[in-house]
Amino acid sequence: MNKSNTVISLQSVSKTYEGPPPVRAINKVSIEIQDKEFVAIVGESGSGKTTLLNIIGLLDGVSGGKVYIDGEDTTKLSDDELSKLRGEKIGFIFQSFFLLPGLTALENVAEGLLYQGVDRKGRLEEATKVLKQVGLEDRMGHLPKELSGGQQQRVAIARALVQNPSYILADEPTGNLDRESGLNILRILKELNKEGKTVIMITHNKEHAKAFDRTITLTDGEAFL
Amino acid sequence: MKKKLSLLDIYSVAVYGIKSRKGRSIMTSIGIGIGIAAIVAVIGISASGKADLIATLESLGTNLIKASPTSGFFGTQDDLPEGVLGMVERIGPVEEVTSTSQTNLLVRRSNFISELEGGGISVIVTNPELLDVVGGSLVEGRFIETGLSNLPVATLGSVTAKRLGINNLDIATKILINNEWFGVIGIVEKLSIHPDLDRSVFIGYSVAKELFDIDSEPSTIYLRANPTYVEDVVDVLAPTMNPENPDQVEVSRPSDALEAQQAAEDAFTSLLLGLGSVALLVGGVAIANVMVMSVLERRMEIGVRRSIGATRSEIRTQFLLESVLLAGFGGLVGVLLGAGITIIYTRYADIIFSIPVWQVFGAIVLALVIGALAGLYPAIRASKVQPAEAVRS
Repeated sequence: MNKSNTVISLQSVSKTYEGPPPVRAINKVSIEIQDKEFVAIVGESGSGKTTLLNIIGLLDGVSGGKVYIDGEDTTKLSDDELSKLRGEKIGFIFQSFFLLPGLTALENVAEGLLYQGVDRKGRLEEATKVLKQVGLEDRMGHLPKELSGGQQQRVAIARALVQNPSYILADEPTGNLDRESGLNILRILKELNKEGKTVIMITHNKEHAKAFDRTITLTDGEAFL
Repeated sequence: MKKKLSLLDIYSVAVYGIKSRKGRSIMTSIGIGIGIAAIVAVIGISASGKADLIATLESLGTNLIKASPTSGFFGTQDDLPEGVLGMVERIGPVEEVTSTSQTNLLVRRSNFISELEGGGISVIVTNPELLDVVGGSLVEGRFIETGLSNLPVATLGSVTAKRLGINNLDIATKILINNEWFGVIGIVEKLSIHPDLDRSVFIGYSVAKELFDIDSEPSTIYLRANPTYVEDVVDVLAPTMNPENPDQVEVSRPSDALEAQQAAEDAFTSLLLGLGSVALLVGGVAIANVMVMSVLERRMEIGVRRSIGATRSEIRTQFLLESVLLAGFGGLVGVLLGAGITIIYTRYADIIFSIPVWQVFGAIVLALVIGALAGLYPAIRASKVQPAEAVRS
């Protein structure tokens, strides 16, 4: 960790999926993400983008190398410590939204604080605020199936935001949306970045990629900065 | 340290899993419900039977002793020796004693009934004390009291009254014993421990001698002994009644027969309990199956929960509690169903309703334990789902 404002640092990270046959998804990747940076990860399908994002987000372990978050070597942390770190510092947004179908928009967002020890009343209050922030105050009581794709993704963003994370990791959040909705999501993420969040997003969309401060291109598991 | 989920939060997360698959959850619980219902009903019916037995024994007493000649090789019975009643009366702890004489007289409702159709009802010649000694009472009317012994009147056992179609004595009713008409003067309440007396017609000694030339030699002795010395009286009764051939006297306590009957029912109860346990086991396996399927189907949910900070133990607890709640719900329904079956049975059989509280509590605990055991493997499996694999879309 050389630079003072580097918040996420990957040093010679490799990831091999046990086979047979073994597949090396990430090969000695070293990248550094600065505080409040707005970074896109691009690359062909199968290039290792999602694996890289999952490693940064502590959802996946590494086969080699080190991952530092806020200066802490996360490869030495226990599973419970990684869960704690995910809950406190990282907000995830997935391409398929991954909302719980039996919960309303408000309850889905409130679920984001469930594992932080916030009581139900506090969770619902925070969730209400964040849903207003993403413009869904009139959809709080709706189930996911009653919302459009764009609205569902905004609920997913709200769920990530309610934890007040430092880092937002988005895996092709616009991939399942029409152009207009996709741009809207991108706009929201840009807003969040301006408010001080570090945003790392996978995208296939070249138009979207232009909006980022920096682009990391992955080819066959190797990063080109 | 990460803050732990509150009990309420764990409960609400587990309930979410159950509520989001209502139909399947109910079907899964049914297995456990049936098992618990079977066990509660079997134990409930058995407990009710026992409670009724205890009540019967308390009302009738366990100090009643019956003695009669043993049956011969061809089923014939020898007479008791002469003066046997006096010999029995002289046994110290004997408090009350009476006798009856079995006859071969034929009972019919009227002379329009063929003699061939009148079987199954015995005519017993008795003393007035019989009803008191055996602890019986009358549905209505009178027993063969002193002063009625020489009259052609009869008192009916409960089964006899039903068989002859005599439900009450609102109008004067007569029956035919051999070819003599007898007025019915009373009906005896059902005697649980004397089914032979329930199927009898009682008449007095004097009228039996006068009309049918039946001697007053007793064929059966009923006696009440001091409760402290019942066993001692049983031991000396046969040698006292027939010193030469004590083995020709059969001594029994009717309460023993009831207890033996109850013991036989207990064995049957154990068998049914075994079957109920098998149903429970099958219910437990069904829950384990459904929970394993649920883990496979809900990988996305597991992945999302892990991504928002859930630890492995929190995921494990969620699935374990779901399984326990499913089984607990089944157990609760099973207890209600089992209690309902017991109520219906006890009303039908006209016995006392009794279900021990420990049994209800135990059944629910058993269901919860089965739920926990059934949910253990799926819960561990859920906690081992790799978050990165679970959220891979």
